[in-house]
Amino acid sequence: MKLIVNGKESNLEEGLTVSGLLIAQDVKMPEMVSVEFNGQILKRSEFENTALSEGDKVEFLYFMGGGNVTN
Amino acid sequence: MKADTLAIHGGFAGDRETGATAVPICQSVSYAYRSAQDLADVFDGKTPGYIYTRIANPTTSALEARLTQLEDGIGCIATSSGMAAIASVVMGLVRTGDKIIAASGIFGGTVSLFENTLGRFGLETVLVDAADTKNFAKAIDDKTKLIFVETIGNPRMDVPDIPAIAKIARKANIPLVVDNTLTTPVLFKPGDFGADIVVHSTSKFINGHGTAIGGAIIDTGNYDWRKGIFEDIKKLSGKASQLAFLSHLRNLIYRDLGGCPAPMNSFLMLQGLETLSARMSRHCENAQKLAQYLQNQPKITWVNYPGLTGRRFYNRVQELFNGKGGGLLTFGVGTKERAFNFIDSLKLAKNLANLGDAKTLVIHPASTIFHEFNAAEKEKMGVPADMIRVSLGIEDFEDIKADFQQAFERIS
Repeated sequence: MKLIVNGKESNLEEGLTVSGLLIAQDVKMPEMVSVEFNGQILKRSEFENTALSEGDKVEFLYFMGGGNVTN
Repeated sequence: MKADTLAIHGGFAGDRETGATAVPICQSVSYAYRSAQDLADVFDGKTPGYIYTRIANPTTSALEARLTQLEDGIGCIATSSGMAAIASVVMGLVRTGDKIIAASGIFGGTVSLFENTLGRFGLETVLVDAADTKNFAKAIDDKTKLIFVETIGNPRMDVPDIPAIAKIARKANIPLVVDNTLTTPVLFKPGDFGADIVVHSTSKFINGHGTAIGGAIIDTGNYDWRKGIFEDIKKLSGKASQLAFLSHLRNLIYRDLGGCPAPMNSFLMLQGLETLSARMSRHCENAQKLAQYLQNQPKITWVNYPGLTGRRFYNRVQELFNGKGGGLLTFGVGTKERAFNFIDSLKLAKNLANLGDAKTLVIHPASTIFHEFNAAEKEKMGVPADMIRVSLGIEDFEDIKADFQQAFERIS
């Protein structure tokens, strides 16, 4: 399936959850990342149960560093 | 994961290089990068990373991640104290000429911050009796920027109807800020009942041992900053989404005020969190038992504990705090002199200005933490001259009772 991850189109396997996406994308500092899913910030308790599907937009945000929020 | 598990494992999956299971204390002011471009990228937010411990620190980040999960929020900023947390939140939301509404039974230090310190910069604070929820709605006008309450007023021991106050705040499109220090997420998650921002003095039950000062700010995700009344925060939401408020603090207010925690203190808070749930059960159990003991003690004139059957806030405690009344209670002995005599007669309980310690603590609020307020102000804040406040520790209750019993025997 095709997802928009950090503004770029990415091909990923079907059935992935947000937790799985963090692993699949080898996201830096996974304990610290915030995830915006189709315009909504997810709570960490939702990572495991949020299934991704074709066309979903996912942004990885970090605000612990102090620089401007990255994406 | 359940809350008790998150309190131990949340925010840290073990050190990848060393296998350390305790969160390492990253006692470093700053963080070096290989190239000038790498550091510039972190400043620009193109790469995640640390810059300077006043802004963020790896040990503190682990604490923030754990507190975020425990409150089921979207993000957290840990601060050097609870007062720093409240100051950062309010200064991040108000400007000169703005107004805030606060419950009148809150901690005197917080009232002083609002009225005296922030009052110097033109903030107007309206204190209302939180027992009548309508008071909040009546006080709101177009200058009002937030409502502030404590889950249990310290030391008035009133329990505001947070779900109803949250609805009033939502209708006015202003955030409800809730100080959850006395209940902690073990008893109550304000975000589940509509609160927008949660603040803590982590020095109290979260630390649990009286070893470090700290605070925290958690955004519950309930207030949509993209549609809020704060134009500067709304502008940030384009990039930061619902994290706009915390980004506004991290990149401006909190960064500039300098209220960051020491990494060692963040470590002590993380350790405290691991046993918080077990300790809260004992704090509440001991408070309930002492309140019941005091009810039958002829030398007292009154006792106030929201967990006592038939009391004004008993039903709310059942509904909101899972039936637990917290670890704090107050009682009166008729006069200030008798209160002083009683405190001087205690042997086990410590007479000091703190709460939430593993040790049982007492204080005479009117002459200490409220000493700067006059008699009329103290009456309005629910602090009579004969009041003794007790923060129940986790000692064996029989020893606490014996200490109180021998102190009562010593006063006339």
